[in-house]
Amino acid sequence: MVEITRLPEEARFSFRVAAGGVAAASKAFGVDLPTTIGGMAANGSRRALCLGPDEWQLDAAASERDAVVAAFAGIYADTPHSLVEVTDREFTYQISGEQAEELLTVGVPRDMALVTVGSGTRTLFDTVPAILVREADNRFTLSVWRSFAPHAEELLHIANKEFAAGL
Amino acid sequence: MLLIHCPYCDKELPELEFAYAGEAHIARPVDPSALSDDEWRDFLFIRSNPRGTHFERWRHIHGCGRFFNAARDTVTDKFLTTYPAGEARPDISKLTGSKA
Amino acid sequence: MSAFRIAGKGRVNHSKPVRFTFDGKTVQALDGDTVASALLANGIHLVGRSFKYHRPRGILTAGSEEPNALVGTTRGPGRFEPNTRATMQEVFDGLKTESQNRWPSLTMDIGSVNDRMHKLFSAGFYYKTFMWPRSFWDKVYEPFIRAAAGLGKSPTEEDPDHYASRFHHCDVLIVGGGAAGLAAALTAGRSGASVVLVDEQSELGGSLLSEPSIEIDGKDAWSWLDATVAELSGMANVRIMTRTTAIGYYHQNMVGLCQKLTDHMATPPADAPRERLWRVRAKQVVLAQGASEKPLVFDGNDRPGVMMAGAAQTYLNRFGVTVGRYAAVVTSHDSAWYAAFDLLTAGVKVNAIVDTRAQVDPTLVDSARALGIDVFLSSTVTGTSGRKRVTSMTVAPVTDGKVSGGSHVVACDTVLMCGGWTPNLHLFSHTKGSLIWDDENKVYLPHEKTEECQVAGAGRAVWGIADTLKDGADAGAAAVKSLGKSGAAVTFTVSKDRTGSGETHRELPTDGDPGSARAFIDFQNDVQAKDIRLAVREGMKSIEHVKRYTTNGMATDQGKLSNINGLMIASDALGRDVKQVGLTTFRPPYTPTTFGALAGYHKDGHFEITRKTTIDSWAEEKGAVFEPVALFRRARYFPQGSEDMHAAVNRECKATRTSLGMFDASTLGKIEVVGPDAVEFMNRMYTNPWTKLQPGRCRYGLLLGEDGYIRDDGVIGRLTEDRFHVTTTTGGAPRVLNMMEDYLQTEWPDLKVWLTSTTEQWAVVALNGPNARKLLEPLVEGLDISDEAFPHMSVADCTVGGLPARLFRVSFTGELGFEVNVPARYGLQLWEMLWEAGQQYDICPYGTETMHVLRAEKGYIIIGQDTDGTVTPDDAGISWAIGKAKPDFVGKRSLARPDLVASGRKQLIGLLTVDPKTVLEEGAQIVDDPKQPIPMKMLGHVTSSYWSEALGRSIAMAVVEDGRARDGKSVYIPMPNGVIEATVQASTVFYDPEGARLKL
Repeated sequence: MVEITRLPEEARFSFRVAAGGVAAASKAFGVDLPTTIGGMAANGSRRALCLGPDEWQLDAAASERDAVVAAFAGIYADTPHSLVEVTDREFTYQISGEQAEELLTVGVPRDMALVTVGSGTRTLFDTVPAILVREADNRFTLSVWRSFAPHAEELLHIANKEFAAGL
Repeated sequence: MLLIHCPYCDKELPELEFAYAGEAHIARPVDPSALSDDEWRDFLFIRSNPRGTHFERWRHIHGCGRFFNAARDTVTDKFLTTYPAGEARPDISKLTGSKA
Repeated sequence: MSAFRIAGKGRVNHSKPVRFTFDGKTVQALDGDTVASALLANGIHLVGRSFKYHRPRGILTAGSEEPNALVGTTRGPGRFEPNTRATMQEVFDGLKTESQNRWPSLTMDIGSVNDRMHKLFSAGFYYKTFMWPRSFWDKVYEPFIRAAAGLGKSPTEEDPDHYASRFHHCDVLIVGGGAAGLAAALTAGRSGASVVLVDEQSELGGSLLSEPSIEIDGKDAWSWLDATVAELSGMANVRIMTRTTAIGYYHQNMVGLCQKLTDHMATPPADAPRERLWRVRAKQVVLAQGASEKPLVFDGNDRPGVMMAGAAQTYLNRFGVTVGRYAAVVTSHDSAWYAAFDLLTAGVKVNAIVDTRAQVDPTLVDSARALGIDVFLSSTVTGTSGRKRVTSMTVAPVTDGKVSGGSHVVACDTVLMCGGWTPNLHLFSHTKGSLIWDDENKVYLPHEKTEECQVAGAGRAVWGIADTLKDGADAGAAAVKSLGKSGAAVTFTVSKDRTGSGETHRELPTDGDPGSARAFIDFQNDVQAKDIRLAVREGMKSIEHVKRYTTNGMATDQGKLSNINGLMIASDALGRDVKQVGLTTFRPPYTPTTFGALAGYHKDGHFEITRKTTIDSWAEEKGAVFEPVALFRRARYFPQGSEDMHAAVNRECKATRTSLGMFDASTLGKIEVVGPDAVEFMNRMYTNPWTKLQPGRCRYGLLLGEDGYIRDDGVIGRLTEDRFHVTTTTGGAPRVLNMMEDYLQTEWPDLKVWLTSTTEQWAVVALNGPNARKLLEPLVEGLDISDEAFPHMSVADCTVGGLPARLFRVSFTGELGFEVNVPARYGLQLWEMLWEAGQQYDICPYGTETMHVLRAEKGYIIIGQDTDGTVTPDDAGISWAIGKAKPDFVGKRSLARPDLVASGRKQLIGLLTVDPKTVLEEGAQIVDDPKQPIPMKMLGHVTSSYWSEALGRSIAMAVVEDGRARDGKSVYIPMPNGVIEATVQASTVFYDPEGARLKL
């Protein structure tokens, strides 16, 4: 069986900046923004996941939300960018256990071998757009937009029963 | 279901993550008002629809989100190559050993 | 012990009896039996009636190619399935099976009268018979065809099972677990590659299960098989799936597998899915599908008791079942000789072996004679007798392809036939790989590949276990090499192998009237040799036409047994070489696949995504009636007591216009546009001018396609110089974002601006009505929301009841309106707070229907309802939204296209019915003169139509040719029960045209 837990919201931002702004943004956020798509880097509670050539998902503790906003506001004049809070946009589930990877294959069309530990990607789960992160061999997080969450969560639980049934 | 090489992610990924976006290399005119009705019609509606190599756009919509270009054979469905948006058309004779 | 079971023989579990029923009668079986093997063990050959002629039919094969023995199965309440192959369904305690296509019973079937009238039902019967008179099409022919169509009955209950699906990626997928597949799996598995090995049978082994006497590496076949399966099962990199059929082979080595999980279980585990569809992407595919035995075509080749020789061998060796007491063999291939020897060894009397060939391996002939079997070479079978079970067959000598002497009758209760073996090319054909005719073996072989695959073993006409193992191992090694891994082909030593060869025929020579012969090619569709010849005589030249005219190969077995026989006969009839005639196309699925497997998890409440807002649960509690809007479900109205929709909507409209209504507007699409070039981007995307819009102010935005037609609209707020909050229609949100991204990435990559979807970041409650401010004012902190400080079309951040909020003053109702955006987690909290606080104003929650009415009273359009993708801003009467001074925006050039500026375009106008009580139907067509002859000229159609409680009459909007020029004129709406007259109103605004109510 696989453990499926919804994680509490912290602070999450969609961050966009042109290539020239990565260094300044890294300094403002306190994490070196990875520039390979799928790459992830963290510093304390702050974590940056590169989703596209100019796109990152930035996570921070809820208590640091305002500090993150202020830090980026401070560099806007010299490093134009877009920082938009999306904390409430999505639910994040932690999926962990021996068969976590197999469970995800009920909905993720991508070869899970490409989702290496410490990386993440936007993909699909069933027909739901999702961001999948592999934190450890057998531990993943799956973020989906709030209104899609019941569909995705239900599917995880339906499929999880297949392991209980041994089939 | 095809595998598509996203030139930004540099990975071969399932077609489900992608969306088709029409023929490639049809740039929006810089000054549309300078175009005649016929020129504008051609820009809007006239497409090549070839049998064989087709230059087309795809978007890695459930991935990195980028639009990119591809050369694909409309007979076999197979991709010959993909390349970032804005790059020139690749030389197809080098990809297929024959003229496009 | 069942009468035809041999104690201790086979792979069935003799110590584990199983009971199931066939047509209500209990059948004794053993664990490991199929329905077919169990029936045969009890001497039951008659299991069904044929499709067209209702001829008694028996069990022909022992595999998934079975065309005859299709039964209905019941695996418990609601779990009925028609047309299940008795040869594939495993037995378990409590399984119920029934024969099909018979009435009132299998042995006494009224429909068999068709057989006596068989000459009426020749090829093309449907095309010739159901032509005229035309008036018969609906009332006579269709019911007749429908009644006759199909074999089994459709299930009447909803399927209680559930189904699963998974994606899987591997290095090597091996299809088929026979000798070739096992050898490939050993080779690939030992190299360390990730391997998936699938077989449709309940266990691996393929033909080895039917050939236990062969020895491999010094072990008997089954010991070798056990050891091999154990080794493969022990490899962490090998996944074995039995009862799993590769149903289709798609682009780039994507293979669909259907895995049957519980159909063989008496009590499946709780929550177990019945079947699972796998979408496997393999770097290399090895097709080891084996070959199917081909029937011989002769008069009476379909009687129960006539079966494939290889099938009899399988029933004997694998299931310990003899298919009869005294058999006769007719063959054109060596393999049937071995089958005969096995049966004879097991105690079955073999009365004759008839071989069509003049020359047969002398060791076979000598062995047969030594065993006391009568051998007839250069001979044919001209008929069989016996109605519900074969009782004899008639043999005649052949010279130069013609019967050349007197015939004699061989008594038998079983005829074993073998017309050679056909490689199973189906999956290879799915890839559009080309086939090539092998004139020596008289088979089609895989030729040019389009995919990364290897074909091994009998699937490419490699015969004999030794050669098949080697071929499989070589295929495995080739796959491994292509992966860039090293791994030598595993080698094997085989003894007591049974190789053989044979010939392929058209229908066998006969001395009878070919027109009377009942020589079947396609058993399932009842197609006979003479049907093919008739089709050719009637002008069918292409094999594809012959197939469709005769329906040969069009049954659910897709011609696995019939294709080559049909081809040989067609080739002969056409006088053309086989390779010029060609083969028809195989298509997925390889075997019939349930809709359940294809649907997977997408059933019941999980059929498709239902998006819900944070306020949805409140609406549900209050008894809201919902409607789907894009993927969302939205509250349509909130009925009280016994109210119907009209009563509820009238009440909701009135409450909102007179005091206060609240509406869940969370589903509206939201895009945050941020960056120094945000305003430039907005200017280029939307028709409106944005430069002069001050931060804190909003504007209605109109989005066109490059073709000039309206795509979307919404209120857009400028939050700061560089930040816009764009709203879109609910359904349009993904499209609009995609379109914006497209322009940004590919046309204007130089712009420093970025787009983020915030649709679900915010929950939105719209407050509308004269008391909206009164409710909100005491709750708002950090903002003066008086009309002077916060006029219509304003936006600002503040708190509402302590919640962080982005507040808009906007209105889609024509009343004083606010839209409170809060982070989604607070959505329900905000709603309940406003609901409580609003009680003093009799606040009324309203749904999408009331929203539609209120906006229609104001003439506000809904994209997709009042527009349809061919409506320009001018057509919709909203040219005012165009920034005419702007040099360019998406769609601007098209607004000058000749056909968009031409007169006669349909324009959106208001319609007032002459009878104010009549509410028009949306979609109704509009005409100028209702007395004109039919077909009338349509001027346009009604797009929106409602009862307006505020106006005490009906209102409608419509698109009408030159509509605005018809202001004050009558148009007519012909309906089934009369013509409705209405008056055109050039303006679509019906209520408060001055907009005074917005300015409260």
